[in-house]
Amino acid sequence: MPAYNLFMGCSVPANYPNYESAMILVAKKFGIELEYMEGVACCGSPNLRAIDHMGWLTVNARTLAIADQNGNDIVTPCNGCFGSLKDVHHILKHDESAAKDVNKRLKKDGLEFKGISTPRHFIEVLYTDIGIQEIKSKITNPLDGVGIAIHYGCHLLRPVDVTEFEPEVLDELVEATGATVVEYPLWKQCCGATVLPVNEPLGIRLARDKLKSMKESGASFSIVVCPACGNQLDLQQLGLKETYKEEYNLPVLFYPQILGLALGLDEEEVGLSMNRVPADPILDHLA
Amino acid sequence: MAETDSPDGPPTTLIEPIDMSKLDDKFRSEISSMPSGEEIVACFACSTCTAACPIANMWEYKPHQLIRMILLGMREEVLSSQEIWLCLTCFQCQERCPQKVRVTDVFFDCKNLAAEEGKVPANIVVLGKELLDKGQLYTVTADWEREDMNLEPEVPGLDVDSVKSYLKDTRTGKLVGGGD
Repeated sequence: MPAYNLFMGCSVPANYPNYESAMILVAKKFGIELEYMEGVACCGSPNLRAIDHMGWLTVNARTLAIADQNGNDIVTPCNGCFGSLKDVHHILKHDESAAKDVNKRLKKDGLEFKGISTPRHFIEVLYTDIGIQEIKSKITNPLDGVGIAIHYGCHLLRPVDVTEFEPEVLDELVEATGATVVEYPLWKQCCGATVLPVNEPLGIRLARDKLKSMKESGASFSIVVCPACGNQLDLQQLGLKETYKEEYNLPVLFYPQILGLALGLDEEEVGLSMNRVPADPILDHLA
Repeated sequence: MAETDSPDGPPTTLIEPIDMSKLDDKFRSEISSMPSGEEIVACFACSTCTAACPIANMWEYKPHQLIRMILLGMREEVLSSQEIWLCLTCFQCQERCPQKVRVTDVFFDCKNLAAEEGKVPANIVVLGKELLDKGQLYTVTADWEREDMNLEPEVPGLDVDSVKSYLKDTRTGKLVGGGD
């Protein structure tokens, strides 16, 4: 199994060590070698892209250039980082003058974007490099019959010519655990995270609409693959009790957490106590 | 009705008339020459982007109108609009455009042009300052939580200085105020 350059970004290590740890333990189960990248920090988020295109290009090109040094693909657990890195990778591959401009800036660090290393989301590595059959063969605690509503997250799916990611990948990964994918009307809708800085009530309403749609469609819980989406759908449920007088009690887990449980990891190992909405339904099921 | 009753006065209209003298005829090419802008001239105003947008109902200018406004040269109105900053960047408009207009990407270009003129919502400038001062948007504070999960208390390999130094020399530094 080849090694991967692990790009954590800023949000997962600071806010969701449970996601980080579950990912690392799951990776170990399949022999996926994740090596923390040296000398990297933050992708800047879509907010940086909005105010400073060149700054956003440069900091992400720098990450890509560091990965190019050993040539291994970059793996990230965050849709925001994935979106930024894929976007910048796509731009620099297709726009020669942008690549030249950025490489001039990177020269002071002795770095060069070559486009050898490809940015990938951790779940896509599971799907493509490990494969559904191999994953299924290691499941010891299947989540048979548990209804899961998937929140893919915008920057994982769109724009597809850049992300090269199809939603079926996550569907199949969830089904591999034995769970059932619950379809719901607002499956494509944004979690609202990006709009929080300029209009918080709107961001909260979007999260609420999403949760409502999931709940009404009969989901027992939801899974996400992004810390910002996780924040919106999990943590925001506490606020909804106040703002909307509504209680959803819909546990929201990161995909490696449910895969980890299905692979026989215990609830402490995947850090379930850090999820804000108690994950009782899934624990009851596994008990 | 009202229009035919008083033929002398200006006609009653549902929208503000466009002042032709204020149009910037270079705005269209300014946007279409940007990397995401090439397809914008293919827009035939079908408003599929607006139908796809989960929040267009609360926008004064809908996505298809903003695209039309760009083509007409309404630079000032587009770059001063709230809407470009409310955009969720969910890319649903862009995904569904039958003419392959990169609607969301074009709004990113508009935000950059607005930022060049210093028109950025205060809370977004705060995020820029965070990146400039700390090199990242979130910093580990509860390192015991990481240790509880058997992770290194500090993120391995983290280097915030390079992000800070690059952003000082690009527009972020200028927007935040020198970055010193």
